[in-house]
Amino acid sequence: MPADSLALVQGTVNVLILKTLTRGPMHGYGISKWIHDESTGALAVEDAALYQALHRLERKHLIDSEWGVSDANRRAKFYTITREGRKYLQADVAALRRYVDALFKILQPA
Amino acid sequence: MNDPERPGRRRQFRFPWRTRHQVAQDLEAELAFHIDARAADLQAEGWSGADARAEAVRRFGDLDYTRAYCRREDARREQEKRHMTILDELRQDLAFTFRSMRSSRGFTAAALLTLALGIGANTAVFSVVQGVLLDPLPFRDADQLVRVWHARPSSGTVRGTVSEPDFLDWREAARTAASMGAYFFADGLSGLDLTGAGDPERLSAALVTDGFFQTLGTTPRLGRALTPDEHVAGGNRVVVLSHGFWTRRFGADPAIVGRAITLDGEPFEVVGVMPPGFTYPATQTLDVWIPLSYFGPEQIGRGRGVHFLSVVARLNTGVTPSQLHAEIGGIAARLSREHLDNAGWDDVTVAPVRDTIVGDVRRPLFVLSASVGLLLLIACVNIASLLLARASGRQRELAVRAALGAGRGRIARQLLTESLTLAVIGGALGVVLGQAGVNALVRSGNDMLPWAADIRLDASVLTMALVASLAVGLAFGLVPTLRATRDLDPTLRAGARGAGGGSGQGFRSALVVCEVALAVMLVIAAGLVTKSFARLSAVDLGFRPQNALVATFSIGSGHQGEERLAYLESVLDAVRAVPGVQAAGTIRDLPLLGNGEGNRPRVPGRSDALGEPPAVQIHHVSADFFKAIGTPLVSGRSVSLSDRVGTPWVTVVNEEAARRLWPGEDAVGKTLLLGSTEVRVVGVVGDIRQRGIAEPVDPAMYLHLHQNFRNRISLVVRVTGDPATYAGLVRQAIWSNDKQQTITGVTTLDDVLGRVTARPRLLAWLLSVFGAIGLSLGVLGIFGVLAYAVNQRRQEIGVRVALGASAHSVVRLIVGRGMLLAGAGLALGLGGAAILAGSMRAVLFDIEPLDAWTFAQVSVVLLGAALLASWFPARRALAIDPVSALRYD
Repeated sequence: MPADSLALVQGTVNVLILKTLTRGPMHGYGISKWIHDESTGALAVEDAALYQALHRLERKHLIDSEWGVSDANRRAKFYTITREGRKYLQADVAALRRYVDALFKILQPA
Repeated sequence: MNDPERPGRRRQFRFPWRTRHQVAQDLEAELAFHIDARAADLQAEGWSGADARAEAVRRFGDLDYTRAYCRREDARREQEKRHMTILDELRQDLAFTFRSMRSSRGFTAAALLTLALGIGANTAVFSVVQGVLLDPLPFRDADQLVRVWHARPSSGTVRGTVSEPDFLDWREAARTAASMGAYFFADGLSGLDLTGAGDPERLSAALVTDGFFQTLGTTPRLGRALTPDEHVAGGNRVVVLSHGFWTRRFGADPAIVGRAITLDGEPFEVVGVMPPGFTYPATQTLDVWIPLSYFGPEQIGRGRGVHFLSVVARLNTGVTPSQLHAEIGGIAARLSREHLDNAGWDDVTVAPVRDTIVGDVRRPLFVLSASVGLLLLIACVNIASLLLARASGRQRELAVRAALGAGRGRIARQLLTESLTLAVIGGALGVVLGQAGVNALVRSGNDMLPWAADIRLDASVLTMALVASLAVGLAFGLVPTLRATRDLDPTLRAGARGAGGGSGQGFRSALVVCEVALAVMLVIAAGLVTKSFARLSAVDLGFRPQNALVATFSIGSGHQGEERLAYLESVLDAVRAVPGVQAAGTIRDLPLLGNGEGNRPRVPGRSDALGEPPAVQIHHVSADFFKAIGTPLVSGRSVSLSDRVGTPWVTVVNEEAARRLWPGEDAVGKTLLLGSTEVRVVGVVGDIRQRGIAEPVDPAMYLHLHQNFRNRISLVVRVTGDPATYAGLVRQAIWSNDKQQTITGVTTLDDVLGRVTARPRLLAWLLSVFGAIGLSLGVLGIFGVLAYAVNQRRQEIGVRVALGASAHSVVRLIVGRGMLLAGAGLALGLGGAAILAGSMRAVLFDIEPLDAWTFAQVSVVLLGAALLASWFPARRALAIDPVSALRYD
């Protein structure tokens, strides 16, 4: 993980994972790579935190998992977002947006 | 790999849940995949193999913590899922159960009805057994209480009443008894007139000695029981009320203690009220207890020859009834040598109080419990058979479900859910039915069962019903379940060939054999009891119970001396004047209900070779009694109004007395000595059953009331038409002379007879119903097995017919099978019935338990029914068209 990537605000890992999964089923490594690539390396989720979040989200029924076969023809665990997960994501994105907007209002030069 | 439609992805085949080990393995695999994938990418970027791997692990972060964290999350999720799955499956099972119940209404109705009948009958009978036999008696340490009777072995008297001096001597000398008490009570006969506030009323009363309440040890609800000084003259105008009487007459007024009520025209102070349920020595209702000493020797004789008391004793600690028997028997033997009046009364009989209260009903209740238990067994077998048939009919459905991934356990759970649901619903219906049964039993059994009012469905009965239902559901659901889930695979393959699941047949046949055997036992028991009842009903009573009204009353202290006779005759005349009355006469003890006064008259001129003359029961009658009750005069004349106080005493004897006292001679004109009084026999009448319908007739002599008065009167009125319609008129006639005359009861002679025969009738009726249900279930069982077999063997039968088998041989195939089942069941059942019948001797009248005729009749009926049950499936087999049968499936 590059040293210059931004440390993530608590709670945003969930949103990132859920958002990533709206594109389709993905395994953990895929999710990690996708976040990294999409943010062109700016955002990095630590692997340990990613897996903890995945298993936590699964227990909360926000995502589901099943075993499948990866590109490299290996057995891998694929995650999908559940309906509950989508609802949660919507609410969370809205809240995050309000938070960021408020933050920017303050930070904008007067 | 980001494409959801990738062909390489396959759906995970999810087992209901994963083990802890599987969960851990999955996690390791997931993490390993991540590290490997990262290392591979790093290698692609130019890292060397070992370095790439180390870098991948480094970049991951805290691997150990993450592993532990994820495991915990997974475990929690797994557990939650497990609970959800179980609930979900239960919901599925229940939904499926109700769906399949709806879709197979016939099966469901049959199973529910069978269960409801079995559970219902058992609940009802168990309630009665519980209420009558198992509930504690309302006494302190009831197991220590015994009854003691005087016995005179030489004349066959085992349970004789006791004279007061004998009782006092026993109590004085006995060391084995902690306390003793005695009482005089005759149901419906011992009583007192209550006057004063409200309507005059005849109370049912027990006259008790000192020690009565102390011995029973029941604490009064209000006030106190009688004290020793209240049993001596001067202090004995005191009364203890029963809870029922206190509530009924005084509205449960707590201020009653200390007040006076008027009994037989005298003021009595109320000293206490007993708790509810305490009515001893009555089993149903009793109004009051008063000291026996209130009646002086001029009213109730106190000589040693006057036996009238019942004795109850409490055993001293550690003393057995037989020790008490030995001691008091010894005292009685001593007294029999010391006093002339006690000659021969040299022993006693001792029995627990509980036995004397419930003794009569214990046997019938036992027979009833046994038969109702058999009925439940039949119901169980029937349901097991139904479930089994259904399970084998569903073999292919189950096999398909198994092939689609349902495990054995899952299928077993489904089948068990079905049978338990059936059991619970059936049990609930059974309890409803049982409640109705209890109500009916208590209503019709009110006069025959002690504490009938206390009988109800209580928690323990409901528990029994629930346990029985669940046991039925489990036990009989399990067998078909195990069979159904075994060898599911072959079924599917066999099913393709159209012969699905014939494997349960042997077991089902065994069940049907059991069912038939149980039914045979039940029907034989029913047959014996029914025949016994028929014979009881055919007994020659010695009188005509039809068209006769009975009014009982006592001539009270308001009428004394000669005036009593004039008063009684005026009452009789008033009754005779009622239009439609043909005859009216009185007797002290109504036939079937009482046995008069035992005596041993001397018989002058009787040859010593004939041995000691038998005891004779003395009855006190008015003129016209025999005409009123409808007993024929065999020779001579009846007593008449011309036989009065001043004229020589005369008597009419029954044929039994004539035969035993003067064998081979004409009794008319002979003389008997009652003490020193000479009594001339003027007539002989037919034998009247006095002691009870099933009891032999004792020698009896009838004295005219005008020569030997008794104030207890049972008035028999013979009328034209329905006697019940005369009740009001007869009451008015009795009151026409004295408005204060209390009447104990008015009923018909038919009702009296009905009450006496009610218990055997109820037993016969119930057993017949149980027998009929049992037989129907058994026969249906045979029918079910055969019908199913015919269905299963369509092909085989088709082939046989196609190959030229005659109709005869096809019928023989099916009917032969049915008769084989019936025969095996019958053989077993006859053996079982012989055992059951052996325990029934006490409830049978005039029929042997092993009555060959009954056994034969039942066998014929059963085989006939089995033939019929086999005939219909056989006809269906005949109707099979070989071509379509072979094409079938």
